[in-house]
Amino acid sequence: MDGSDPDDERVDELNTLQAIYPELEIDISHPPTPEAHIELPISPTNPLSVKFDSESTVHQLSHLPPLILDIILTEGYPNERPPKVRLSTNPPWLPGRHLNDLERACTRLWEEYGGLQVLFAYISFLQEAAENAFSVTAQEPGGVLLLPLTLKSSLLSSSSQIAQSDFESGTFSCVVCLEPKKGSSCHRLRHCGHVFCKSCLQDYYNNCIKEGDVSNVKCLSPDCGKSKSDKTRKNRLLSPKELLQIPLSPETVRRYAEIKRKKKLESDPSIVWCPRKWCQGPMRTSKYPKIGDLSQMDESDVEEDAAAPPDQPQEEPVYRGTANTDRLVVCESCNLAFCKICLAVWHGDYYICRKREARELTAEEQASLDYITKNTSPCPTCSAPVEKTQGCNHMKCFQCNSHFCYLCSAWLDADNPYMHYKNPKNKSCYMKLFHGAEGEEGMQFGGRRGAEQEAEYWELQALRIQNEEFTD
Amino acid sequence: MSSVAKKRILKEYAECSNDLPSGMKVIFDEANLTKWDVVMEGPAESPYAVCLELAMCFDKRSLMHQGGHFKLEINFPNDYPFKPPVVNFKTKVYHPNVSNDDKGSMCLGMLRPEEWKPPNKVISVLHLIQNLLVEPNIDDAIETSIANDYKTNRAEFNKTAQDWVKRYAK
Repeated sequence: MDGSDPDDERVDELNTLQAIYPELEIDISHPPTPEAHIELPISPTNPLSVKFDSESTVHQLSHLPPLILDIILTEGYPNERPPKVRLSTNPPWLPGRHLNDLERACTRLWEEYGGLQVLFAYISFLQEAAENAFSVTAQEPGGVLLLPLTLKSSLLSSSSQIAQSDFESGTFSCVVCLEPKKGSSCHRLRHCGHVFCKSCLQDYYNNCIKEGDVSNVKCLSPDCGKSKSDKTRKNRLLSPKELLQIPLSPETVRRYAEIKRKKKLESDPSIVWCPRKWCQGPMRTSKYPKIGDLSQMDESDVEEDAAAPPDQPQEEPVYRGTANTDRLVVCESCNLAFCKICLAVWHGDYYICRKREARELTAEEQASLDYITKNTSPCPTCSAPVEKTQGCNHMKCFQCNSHFCYLCSAWLDADNPYMHYKNPKNKSCYMKLFHGAEGEEGMQFGGRRGAEQEAEYWELQALRIQNEEFTD
Repeated sequence: MSSVAKKRILKEYAECSNDLPSGMKVIFDEANLTKWDVVMEGPAESPYAVCLELAMCFDKRSLMHQGGHFKLEINFPNDYPFKPPVVNFKTKVYHPNVSNDDKGSMCLGMLRPEEWKPPNKVISVLHLIQNLLVEPNIDDAIETSIANDYKTNRAEFNKTAQDWVKRYAK
């Protein structure tokens, strides 16, 4: 501040201005010409449409690199001379002719003010003009600003950086825990834009993935993806990449990706599984690539609607000694080469083999099969085993959306599912809609499961009677 | 129950007390957050309101209460709000969407586990129940014979509903 004249009204003006805009930098080390420098953020109300060279994609930028204003107040300002202003952007995205227009506006403004201090008015003018992005697209064809390709990466990344820092300094009310949260502890979902706090998202998604319920790893909002008019905004499953950003632990995200892949593999009848009991990996296939780098997995598939229609039954081909390698498949886990028809180690092309169906079960497999038959009711349409943990006995299959009765596996009319429980003829289910609602023991089943239950009961009785006779 | 769940239930309770649907009261025990008792008056525009002539028979104070009084219980699961609350009518009610047994269960709309979304709140559940008393949801009826009654013989339905109110919901 050496040598500056405290009575200089130019310095006064700059000091006042700095009180209004704390980010204004003042340089009064050269007394004859005080200088100032300020960067004005540009976040137009409507995003600016931008295209880069010959690319066809139009980008919508909500934030642009700031407008840099350099001010030099020469001798004679404000009475005789207008302030000298220089405008620029870095990188230079705002076309030169617009910068010139804006610079000239300063002199015009000074003239209108009749030689008074004009800087505050000028900065306000620039800020206002920034709200509609200086109308740069007004004269452009199609309302799109054409820029050189070299600017692309810096403009796109600065736009998202500014958006991110705006987001982080904001405050949001998480609709799950109902707490107000700083933006930095929230996450905005990429596809729908809904905001939740990170800890609620973590709680929910971790639990979904732990329970294997991957189809619920999507936006929590009740009306997200419901609007019929807007099909493009279907309620999507989150991509592994986004889950890592929330963040969820890499192990959890890996499990998520693996389960999703496994579901696809299992629902594809053309996939054959390795015959080695200790392996049971799927055959190598390019259809469902193995899970690699999670942070690259950006796809967020739309939740699959009801199960895909089964393939048309094809005529069983005859496998003779021909030089086709259709039968040869390789396990992706243990690299065993085997025949997908007879499930034996690869026997060469000229071997006649027969289709082999069920394999013998290991004790472990038998145990889980036993558990499944005992604790689940099969869907009457697709036989998917369904285990009820809460609620009434009107079930909707998670796989094929069939409505059925948990007690007897009967199909239920989707429009009138409760009729089943009102008909005294349905002995096993009459008035039993809520039977076992809280997981109570001793439920009486009907249908196949009921018969098995009964058989087990009588077997036990027989054993008991036998024992009694034996001890007598 | 996690502290997040407790906090949220407390918050919802605070919110509820300003914004309850008319004629509803929540009885809340701080020692047991997971169970709310709700007393609800039958909405005036539904058959679940006690008719005025009847109220006249009693002393004058009962004139103030137009509706039948229904007791409900709301139970919050441990992983609330990620799983839906469970609603039971403790007072018998003749209604297509409430199971006609000793449980008085409801299982429709947002209360179904697969429909429930964590941002849903008890207050919307309470509104849903009140709206259902005014206008039953016939397409998702749990008691088909009552739904049938409602569809084909509204006068009979209203009469039975009111009889039940007089009998059970004083």
